[in-house]
Amino acid sequence: MEKELDEIVAYTGQQADGVTTRAQLESLKAEVSGPNGRLTGVMQGMKDVPKEDRPAFGKRINEVKQAVQAIFDGILETVEASEIAAELGPAVDPSLSSADFGPGSLHPLTQIREEICRIFKQIGFTVAEGTEVETEYYCFDALNTPDNHPARDLQDTFYLQDDIAFGNVSKKTDERYLLRTHTSSVQIRTMLETEPPVRIISPGRCFRRDTVDATHSANFHQVEGLYVDKHVTVRDLKATLDYFFEQLLGKGTTTRFRPHFFPYTEPSFEVDFSSSHLAKLGSDWVEIAGCGMVEPEVFAAVDYDPELYSGFAFGMGIERIAMIVYGIDDIRYFYQNDHRFLKQFV
Amino acid sequence: MKVSLNWLKWYVDLPESPQEIADSLTLLGFEVDDIETTGVPPLEHVIVGEVLEREQHPNADRLGVCRVALGDSVGEKSIVCGASNYKVGDRVPVALPGATLPGGFTIKRSKLRGVESDGMMCSGKEIGASEDAAGLLILSGKPELGTPINDVLTANDTVFNLEVTPNRPDCLSHIGIARELAAWYRRNLAIPEAKTYASIGGKAPVDDRFTSLEVECPEDCPLYLATVVKGLKIGPSPVWMQDLLQSVGLRPINNVVDVTNFVLHECGNPMHAFDARDIAEGRIIVRNAKDGENITTLDGEERSLSDRMTVIADPEGALAVAGVMGGQNSEVKEDTTDLVLEVACFNPRTIRWVSKTMGLSSDSSYRFERGIDIHSLEYARDRAIQLILETAGGELCEPSYSAGIAVPSDRIITISTDWVRTRSGFEISDAEIEESLQALGLNIAGRSGETWEVNIPSLRGDLERPIDLLEEILRIYGTHRIPAASVVATATTDTDHPITEFIRRSTSFMVGQDFCEAVNYTLRSNEDQSDWFADIQGSGLALKNPISEDQAELRFSLLEGLMDTARLNQSRNTGATRFFETGRVFRELGGKIVELISVAFVECGVNAYRSWTEPLRDDFYKAKNRVSGIAGFSGFDVSRFRVGAISDGDSVWQDGHAAAILEGKAGFFATMGMLNLKRTRDKDIDGILVAGEFCVLPDRLKAPKRPRFEAFSLFPPSTKDLSVLADQAEQSGSICSAISKFAFKSTKGAFDVERVEVFDVYEGEGIPDGKKSVAVSITFRSKDRTLKDKEVNAAFDAIQTMVREKTAYDIRD
Repeated sequence: MEKELDEIVAYTGQQADGVTTRAQLESLKAEVSGPNGRLTGVMQGMKDVPKEDRPAFGKRINEVKQAVQAIFDGILETVEASEIAAELGPAVDPSLSSADFGPGSLHPLTQIREEICRIFKQIGFTVAEGTEVETEYYCFDALNTPDNHPARDLQDTFYLQDDIAFGNVSKKTDERYLLRTHTSSVQIRTMLETEPPVRIISPGRCFRRDTVDATHSANFHQVEGLYVDKHVTVRDLKATLDYFFEQLLGKGTTTRFRPHFFPYTEPSFEVDFSSSHLAKLGSDWVEIAGCGMVEPEVFAAVDYDPELYSGFAFGMGIERIAMIVYGIDDIRYFYQNDHRFLKQFV
Repeated sequence: MKVSLNWLKWYVDLPESPQEIADSLTLLGFEVDDIETTGVPPLEHVIVGEVLEREQHPNADRLGVCRVALGDSVGEKSIVCGASNYKVGDRVPVALPGATLPGGFTIKRSKLRGVESDGMMCSGKEIGASEDAAGLLILSGKPELGTPINDVLTANDTVFNLEVTPNRPDCLSHIGIARELAAWYRRNLAIPEAKTYASIGGKAPVDDRFTSLEVECPEDCPLYLATVVKGLKIGPSPVWMQDLLQSVGLRPINNVVDVTNFVLHECGNPMHAFDARDIAEGRIIVRNAKDGENITTLDGEERSLSDRMTVIADPEGALAVAGVMGGQNSEVKEDTTDLVLEVACFNPRTIRWVSKTMGLSSDSSYRFERGIDIHSLEYARDRAIQLILETAGGELCEPSYSAGIAVPSDRIITISTDWVRTRSGFEISDAEIEESLQALGLNIAGRSGETWEVNIPSLRGDLERPIDLLEEILRIYGTHRIPAASVVATATTDTDHPITEFIRRSTSFMVGQDFCEAVNYTLRSNEDQSDWFADIQGSGLALKNPISEDQAELRFSLLEGLMDTARLNQSRNTGATRFFETGRVFRELGGKIVELISVAFVECGVNAYRSWTEPLRDDFYKAKNRVSGIAGFSGFDVSRFRVGAISDGDSVWQDGHAAAILEGKAGFFATMGMLNLKRTRDKDIDGILVAGEFCVLPDRLKAPKRPRFEAFSLFPPSTKDLSVLADQAEQSGSICSAISKFAFKSTKGAFDVERVEVFDVYEGEGIPDGKKSVAVSITFRSKDRTLKDKEVNAAFDAIQTMVREKTAYDIRD
């Protein structure tokens, strides 16, 4: 009996090597410790053991049970390890890359637009939107543009067909539909809808009847800003643009206002910047934006009291800023979408 | 506009360097596009010489040894010369020893290949007169020997190319610009005195040839002055005048024409001289042209006129197109002795229209279009007459003709200096305000405390309101002196526009799925657009005035551009396969064109590069998922709308592999799936393109709402599977939604139906023809307990009963 017990342990140990699956383990367990197993058989022989030997025999049985269980545990560990190994498959080669395309990228014009929006958001400007199709009134008349102004020419501005019915762009009277030449029309529609204070920027696509070349494109993007409140001053305008360009182009950027003329602002200025960060441009002044105090005639068009309110407006080209910031020398790159261009701005 | 520095110096003292002056002009609001240096710089010891004799150099084939006469004070010199374009008797510039030429090269007496040379004969380039370095500069007109070369050649000048904004017609002249510089530097402006007509005319003979001036259209010509000069002699104008005219790009013609051009560029007043012989009956009539009337203008073009144009005519016909260009029939000729000088003011609108209609812009029309100060005419006339008499001789005749009146201008703008400070936002003293105004000749006529009455001279037609004066004050005070400040901004309670937010969220969603953002043109060609979208032909997307055929229409969809992007990247082997774009598209809705906000994407199956393993590819279902995601940002749950398979056979989408949700009423369109494989191949794009687009009316976009937390169950779900046989043609989605409806009824509200999804679709062996098997899994769950088999089974039985009773589906066991 003693011998049988030794043999059971030895046998279980010998069988362990051949067991690689849970099923084999279960059958080995059955063979050894199942209801009809060899160990169970020996244990059933307990009743034949003399009473005084039983404690020793019982102790011996327990030892054997533990030994066998240890072998089973060992087998289970091995089986589990091989199961996991099978599920994992072969090791990766960390030097290989994914076949999937990626990463995606944001277009540089979007990145610049969002950066501009973010900077202006910090000083309380929110984004307003309008339609790309506009009417002559909102694009020109309401902005104090004389009716013989060259910007209205068929040479310079795209018009839609005379008889077109447009569903979601309202007319003032029966003026023509056109593609907006600036996003100033958004300012007019916003002022018509709300009372001051108004603090908005309007980024968006604009159109001019330009032949495409390195610096011109029939469609391009602009950001315009408008601030109307009581006591808005020329100095506020300068401070706002100084802040913006320093945020956009880096510390040490300075701006210069040059008197200019726009129908919708008085006084009007063109804005130059100078920045030591943009090495190529050196310390020269580079034209970057137009701005001015809102012209009283514009306030009249939107029924704001020019005695009570004053305001400023400014506008700049997103392509131009992107070209300066990234050092891009041809506007056409923005519209070709060559991935070798796009991926540089991820 | 070109402005000569030498010329400006006639009117204002300008010791500054050209660059400093350019900077001042810039800050005054006149952008300087470029600064050119023209003519010969001041040169010492460079004089006129004549080649008396040329001998071959003994040691060099290419060199000559010349004896050169240099006038009495210098005498003759022997000079070695390598040029070959001259002959004996030619007069040329000679640099004597001691002269320093523009390149910094100093001439010394020296030996050239063994022969003494006592100076250098010069090319145009060597003395800075021209770019010609090929041979000697041969001087025309036999200038006096020994004359300093600066006396012979056009003087050195600096020319500024300026932009004058349309509100400043008063600055379209040298005096105009000088006035601004004088104000900037607070210096005097010296306007040349012109003798008045009366002071010269007193002694002049009465004119008998010219008899009358009539203006028939005073609206188009508010004032016309005609003056007769007799007995003059046409010849070249003086060198100083020619130099100045040339510096601003004008070709000298003769003394009379040059004077009219000179005064135009000096004062900004266009004027025209007619040969008095050519004015029939001596009568000038300013009238509207007749339709069908013709005139040959000075540039030699025959032009047909219309009745909106104004002409200067005699009883026989038109002599000039008013304000634009004179006619050949009456121009000043070499033998002209008597002339009629026109100085006038024409209606800017008329001139602009005429100039545009004729496609003819002249220095005159440019100024008349922008507006001439009617009060400036007399001075300009007197100045021109004085210069004509000085340069061409002749006598001024009486009477002086004039038609129209210059209404006296006595404009006053009342301004408060406090208001100036309030609007400026910084301290600018009364004294500084006054200084700025007076520098511009805007005198203060009266004042009571801080309220001033400012006199506006007639030439400043642009100044009408206090705000206009604020601009003038700031301009002369100096915009560079606006003090820096920090931004004072109150916090905003407004939010960015829903369109902005929708585009932002869609954009990060697409970039997050490894798509590259593309930006394409809004304008497309009709051909391309109708190739892709057969159904839009004849709609109103075409522009009235496209610039080219390939940019003739508003885009119907972003997909056209994205396909261009895919093709370009394929053909350039960039390896990129996934692109998206956001933007506006234009479609017909309810008989009208509408502008829609759109997001679209495309994935092309063919990559430029092979890879060691297969990449994941999009299919219809993936595209549908992405479109649903985008639609979600707009506030639309597309799962609540019917998705219709596309099978019309004639669209940009592939039959049987694409679908659309066309919900014009709800305000959106969503389409997704494979693009028409034959068409994409025809357009040279390889492989299968899977795409999606979502378009929404801007006013239907819903701003994202803040979500509310909803408690969820912590108890386990219970799932039942139901398999039914249905018609093959029926969409699995509609089967699923029918079963889903039954499921919701089946629990009678006792517990929840969490999810009803198709998990298997099968047709083929074991399934009757024309049928398909759709298996749906239904998940139940209770918020407050673990469901018992009994209640779940009861619900499942109820579902099956409803399917049997209410549908044609057969339940499979």
